[in-house]
Amino acid sequence: MVLTLLGAGLIGAVIGLIVLRGGFYNIAATAQHYPLIYTVFEEGLQYSVQNHARDIVAPESLGTPEQLLRGAAVYKANCIQCHGGPGVAPLKQGMSMQPVPGPLVDADVNWETRELYWITRNGIKMSGMPAWEYHLSDNDIWAVVAFVSAMPNMTPEDFRRMTSGGDASPAHSVAATQGETP
Amino acid sequence: MNAARITAALTLAMLVAACGPTRPAPGIQGDPERGMVALTQYACHSCHAVPSVAGSKVYVGRPLDDMAERRYIAGKLPNTQANLVRWLMDPQAIDPGNAMPNMGVSERDAIDISAYLLSQ
Repeated sequence: MVLTLLGAGLIGAVIGLIVLRGGFYNIAATAQHYPLIYTVFEEGLQYSVQNHARDIVAPESLGTPEQLLRGAAVYKANCIQCHGGPGVAPLKQGMSMQPVPGPLVDADVNWETRELYWITRNGIKMSGMPAWEYHLSDNDIWAVVAFVSAMPNMTPEDFRRMTSGGDASPAHSVAATQGETP
Repeated sequence: MNAARITAALTLAMLVAACGPTRPAPGIQGDPERGMVALTQYACHSCHAVPSVAGSKVYVGRPLDDMAERRYIAGKLPNTQANLVRWLMDPQAIDPGNAMPNMGVSERDAIDISAYLLSQ
């Protein structure tokens, strides 16, 4: 029994090494994952984020009008390039990434608010999602999380207006900035 | 060997699941195989569930698994290949304010993407 298992393990390792060193696995971003592999990776991602974000407590005042405007400016400066928004396409760089960055208008279906904060702050390995901890202040990370959480209630027109930064709101002067550094 | 059988079944399942139509349905122009890759390069699958393309569960655009049977595009245009190509290239011209943005799809790519969607 033990010998059989060891033998099977050894054969598996040899096959793995041949596939690895032979370069047979297609690493091209145009080649899609096998659905099974994609699903396993995604489940792992889900459980990992749930676990690591479990002690984070979202501020109670999340989503004030000023904070949403600030979040819209941060989103426009740093997120829209890859994620796009309602009625707004991402740039080509975001469209042809593998895995595809995806829309955030349904982010609240898959993630709790604290988990969105954790993902934004820490990024996601090998997915192209950068970590923002060292590039955005904590206030700006929460602001952009509040904005993403409010997206399901926006029409494409609302979204365009909020991210255009051209309206008469007092916060529009920050729209062109990339957010305050920590 | 049970393990061998499971491995074989999994491999088969992965291969089958990764296959889409390779030839266009009757009366459809374009290259569905190229269309499937083109579709991923315009991130269609980021908002729409697309058959044979691995992706996350998304709740933004409608699933695209029954486009060959579907009668209307965006509830506005009769679902012909020519209209689908128009829609893919410029949805905002057909339905201004729709949440689907213009993705900058070229005519060739739109024909191949529509061939893929209509050959399911």
